[in-house]
Amino acid sequence: MSDFLAYGFVQRALVTGTILAVVCAVLSFFVVLRRMAFVGVGLSHAALGGVALGVVLGIQPLLAAAVFTTVVAWIIGWLGGRSEVSEDTAIGVFFPTAMALGVVLISVSPEYRQDLMAYLFGDILSVRRGDVLPLAAFSVVGLGLIAYWFKELLYLGVDEEAARAAGVPATPLRFLLLTLLAVTIVASVRLVGIVLVSAFLVIPAATGQAVARSLRGMLVVAVVSAMASVALGLALSWSWDLPSGAAIVLVSAALFFVSLAVGSRR
Amino acid sequence: MNAAPPPAVLLDRVYASYDGRPALEDVSFQVPEGTFSALIGPNGAGKSTCLRLVLGLVRPDSGRVEVFGGRPGAEVRPVGYVPQRVVIPRGFPISVLDVALMGRTGILGPGRRPRAHDREQALRALEQVRLGDLARRRFQDLSGGQQQRVLIARALCGEPRLLLLDEPTAGLDTAARARFYALVCELQHAQGLTLLCATHDLDAVGEHADTLILLDRSVHARGKPSEVLTSGALGRAYPFPSAHVHEGTGEAG
Repeated sequence: MSDFLAYGFVQRALVTGTILAVVCAVLSFFVVLRRMAFVGVGLSHAALGGVALGVVLGIQPLLAAAVFTTVVAWIIGWLGGRSEVSEDTAIGVFFPTAMALGVVLISVSPEYRQDLMAYLFGDILSVRRGDVLPLAAFSVVGLGLIAYWFKELLYLGVDEEAARAAGVPATPLRFLLLTLLAVTIVASVRLVGIVLVSAFLVIPAATGQAVARSLRGMLVVAVVSAMASVALGLALSWSWDLPSGAAIVLVSAALFFVSLAVGSRR
Repeated sequence: MNAAPPPAVLLDRVYASYDGRPALEDVSFQVPEGTFSALIGPNGAGKSTCLRLVLGLVRPDSGRVEVFGGRPGAEVRPVGYVPQRVVIPRGFPISVLDVALMGRTGILGPGRRPRAHDREQALRALEQVRLGDLARRRFQDLSGGQQQRVLIARALCGEPRLLLLDEPTAGLDTAARARFYALVCELQHAQGLTLLCATHDLDAVGEHADTLILLDRSVHARGKPSEVLTSGALGRAYPFPSAHVHEGTGEAG
């Protein structure tokens, strides 16, 4: 196991994975509070369309995916803010549409198919040296914005009407959350994969709420359990040559069931 | 020259629509400071739209809305809002104190976390609604009546002069409703608050309110409860055999 940490790509995967764990865990808090689990699923699948678009257009696939997924998030937010279409319905329309676009584009670009498994389920080898710094910068900005607006985001999640009445800028904050979700999902694609990243945006908070008795406790447990899932998941992925995303999500689900058992004993 | 103080709430020939449909037509009324006015009328009568106008969440198509002589929403602080109910995802560990503290959000502004002073204020507000000993409990473990009292405490944390209540007793049983309004009135008198409450609960507001405003798109009657409740207008607005209409779980009007 000690040689595990000796490799540069393993270290990079651990560093980026830990950063992503913190961001995903904090976002999962709001995903659970605002019942946005389906938004996460929709956006992660839209990311596939963005990746394929990047490949076809010759743009860096993850950059293309970040822009594409953010635009889809904004459209979902815009449609969800209108009364004709519920947010659920908007996602139900966009998630398969973007995914279908991805599948069509992939089928016309044969050289891209080998990478597909890595994008879908994550690959520990795929984290590049140049990925670490932009990710760290994004997470600092994203977490900073969440910290600055934390009590407003909490108020909005609990009671949007009263929060608006108290002067909380509901619409900008909804779009902030959607944008952070979109970028985080795309940033997580290399390590966790498109199919599984949405799980990582729900399970940490679910684990936290199963054992914690306060909001702060829930956040702490969410972050710690997500970090543990990444470290253990990557170790399993390395030892048994598993897709890293699947290993991480399985560990995090195991932690969730443990916390459920612990929580129900009290 | 000392002009008379402006009323807490003023609507002057207000037309407003909601979701593209006309909700209010030529509505005018005032709520003098320190009084309790109740908006009554059937579902869809525009009661909630009136409250949203006062909160500054909806703009009138025409006419004038003033809160303490100013533009609604311009200054958040004087207005507290108590909704029909608050639903928190099952298992989310939000305490009663957490919910009450949310009332400090407008005063604190972004980037500032609640401090000891805010916590004291929230605890005091919870004591005022007689829930001080439940501050650490999970909000969702409380009964419906207790939850509504927490929402009053939350509104009080914003140090309001005007409380807007939107069908605050929907879903509560008769005894809990009576306790709710008795508490609200006690707070009103103790703190000199102005109350504007949208409700179907004619028994309770008939007993406690100073003024009833019977709304059905436009103001059909306005006056002391005894006058409005016995007027023919009530029977026309509520086409039921009895005036004793109780609110169910129907959506806000």
